[in-house]
Amino acid sequence: MILRTGISFFTDTPAYPGADEVGGIGPSLLGTMWLGIVSTAIGIPLSVLTGIFIVEFRNHKLAKITKVFTHSLLEIPTVLIGMLVFLTIVVPTGHYSLLAGSIALVIVMLPYTMSYLERALDEVPRTYKEAGYSIGMTRKQVVFKVVLGIAKPGVAAGLLIGVAKGISETAPLLFTIGSARGDFPVSPMDLGKPGDAIPLLIFQFIQSPYENWHDLAWGASFVLTVIVLVTFALVKLVVREVKL
Amino acid sequence: MPEMAKSDKRFFYSLVPAALVSSLILVLLFIVLIYYSAPAFKEYGFRIFTTKTWSPSEESARTSEYGLFIPLLGTLVSAIIAVVLALPFAISTVIFTEEVIPKGMNKVRETFSTLIDVMTGLPTIVYGLWGLAILAPFLRDNLYNPLYAVLGSIPLFSCRPVTGTTILTAGILLSMMIMPFMYSVIRHSYKRIPAIYKEAALALGTTKYEYSKIMMGMVKPSILAGILIGFGRAAGETVAVALVVGNTFNMPSCLLSSSYTISALIANQFGNAALYPYMINVLVVGGLILLLIGIVSNILGIMYLNRVRYTA
Amino acid sequence: MAEELLEVRVEDLNVWIGDNHILKDVYMRAVPGTVTAVMGPSGSGKSTLIRVINRLIDLVPGSKVKGRVMIGKINVLESDPYMVRRRIGMVFQEPNPFPHMTIYENVAIGPRLHGLAREREEIDRIVEWALKKAQLWDEVKDRLDDYPYQLSGGQKQRLSLARALALKPRVLLLDEPTANIDPVSTVKVERSIIEYAKENMATVIIVTHTPQQAARISDNILFIYEGRVIEYGPTREVVLHPREELTRKFLGGEV
Repeated sequence: MILRTGISFFTDTPAYPGADEVGGIGPSLLGTMWLGIVSTAIGIPLSVLTGIFIVEFRNHKLAKITKVFTHSLLEIPTVLIGMLVFLTIVVPTGHYSLLAGSIALVIVMLPYTMSYLERALDEVPRTYKEAGYSIGMTRKQVVFKVVLGIAKPGVAAGLLIGVAKGISETAPLLFTIGSARGDFPVSPMDLGKPGDAIPLLIFQFIQSPYENWHDLAWGASFVLTVIVLVTFALVKLVVREVKL
Repeated sequence: MPEMAKSDKRFFYSLVPAALVSSLILVLLFIVLIYYSAPAFKEYGFRIFTTKTWSPSEESARTSEYGLFIPLLGTLVSAIIAVVLALPFAISTVIFTEEVIPKGMNKVRETFSTLIDVMTGLPTIVYGLWGLAILAPFLRDNLYNPLYAVLGSIPLFSCRPVTGTTILTAGILLSMMIMPFMYSVIRHSYKRIPAIYKEAALALGTTKYEYSKIMMGMVKPSILAGILIGFGRAAGETVAVALVVGNTFNMPSCLLSSSYTISALIANQFGNAALYPYMINVLVVGGLILLLIGIVSNILGIMYLNRVRYTA
Repeated sequence: MAEELLEVRVEDLNVWIGDNHILKDVYMRAVPGTVTAVMGPSGSGKSTLIRVINRLIDLVPGSKVKGRVMIGKINVLESDPYMVRRRIGMVFQEPNPFPHMTIYENVAIGPRLHGLAREREEIDRIVEWALKKAQLWDEVKDRLDDYPYQLSGGQKQRLSLARALALKPRVLLLDEPTANIDPVSTVKVERSIIEYAKENMATVIIVTHTPQQAARISDNILFIYEGRVIEYGPTREVVLHPREELTRKFLGGEV
């Protein structure tokens, strides 16, 4: 499929329904990239800081509660995350946007990222922390200069898994980004506008009666699978034991 | 423990906002779902769970009827089918990786296990696409039509399979999606069975089959946990199910007919629900149920997992 | 900076971890310019004792400390632990240079952290000095940008020592620093410790479970057994004429 259309598959907009050619997934691919970038940008600080809080102050009640609550997010059907973001962000702002979708994906990735992060932070041997304190580091310095430095591979793996989980999700995007696939979201300003993503395109096009859109959906799902598998392979390179 | 030093306190409080944001998501979800579902309860009462029709009207709440009975039943039926089908596969795959692949071939074992893990990681939409375009027509021609022809007198198979998108297709696709989860839950416990038990079982002169049966008995709680966690996942899965369940308000009592699940209903209707009075609220009720199913099955699952203990 | 002389005095020290009474009415005194060996069988509370001195005990969940630990004129137990630790260096049983930092960075981090030196040249000088003091300079001077995993266990331990020395601590604590390293490195570490104490009039306290090491390097010995001080005195006296039966047994390898 992709071979037939060549590079334009990645750069064109979808063709008209029923047309002879298929067009491309350009806007959706860009949308997925933006979703990945923005949700990572929000998700990294949020999950790293929360993870540090949970691990460093593990005896504190607030840390225990945080741990239970964030881990429970894993058990929430992702369509409910879409619902939540729709009711709390899309409705008040009055329109769909890539930003709303990104926030939904942050919620999707959070529990995955957190469980990796916590394990990585936990596994840093105590002796290095002691060494940090012994040269007069404060707790903050020990965490940022020693613990995070040593746990870097695990942290990176957690973030990658989180992003991969996020961008391959469909349900949280159903009522948040709006499936606008006519324009290319190129500047960050476009984040406030409706957009599209690859999984959403697949979901909608395969349900259409048009042959050429079906082809496009298959091509898109191939691209999505490759992106996800490459991410997992990267993670596998970084840490030995991977749990998806 | 001595008082926190001043700089530690500052550090603690600087992390609190992030922790609060992360943990309030769940709280917010509960509040929002309850808040939005309240009007539906007020308007329709308990009827939303028992009514079988879904006839939205743009004019008023009086003329529209929203029944969650069918999708609710559809969710339960499809998730049960999924678990029932996935369980034997999960168990035998665990036995295959741990017992059948020879001791010396650890590389093979790990590669095999990674492959199954990758199945968990594949985007659900890819399963859905494949299920709709390939699995459903295949099942219709090779399973449903023969089933209908032979067992048509049994109520479960008494409806003519028009399309391949049926409640059974949803169950079968879901079983493929949750099998890897159940596999990894069970295998995790299985790997931890202490060697002495294995030796003791072997010393009894058991056959490979009897031996595996004994071993599975030892990880029974984790099998139950796998069932519960798998059930929760299956019930909450959305897009893949929405593509293959058929999305019609037929009772899922006949497995060969298309039907609905709550998640699919939400996926299809929620986007336009604002046009109809109370539809959003009814759908949120459905969401609340999904949330409860997900959380309860997971809590119970974890309870069972914690019960796996090997004490001599 | 005029080098202050900081004596370490421990009085009526009691430590609990959970329900375990780890240290019971412990006392000791360590004088600038000398090496004091804390000696005793494993599990006697030696490591806990030196972790009270620099308040690393704070990191142990469920720990409770009572008594007085004076460093110079301040009571460590009533001070900000971070201020305390700046002037106290420590070397641990496991060689633990930070694995994600180069050899150079491992030594430079302390001085940088506390703003002891800002210019690159100044830091270079401190790094060289500390590595020389730890008897490691000759082995690593051409590969300061390597990571510690390329070093042997003994070299790693000397790197940990250099990291501590770079801050010119007035008090140096060592927790069985040679328990896990080769004999050659052991000799070098021991020599560094003695030199550092004498040249800088620093107060050095070393935990050891071998009487031989205590005899080789210390001026005074504190012998603890099951959390209690059994004997405390000049090394020659304790080793040659132990007053207590338990000490005699320990020296003879019987406990």
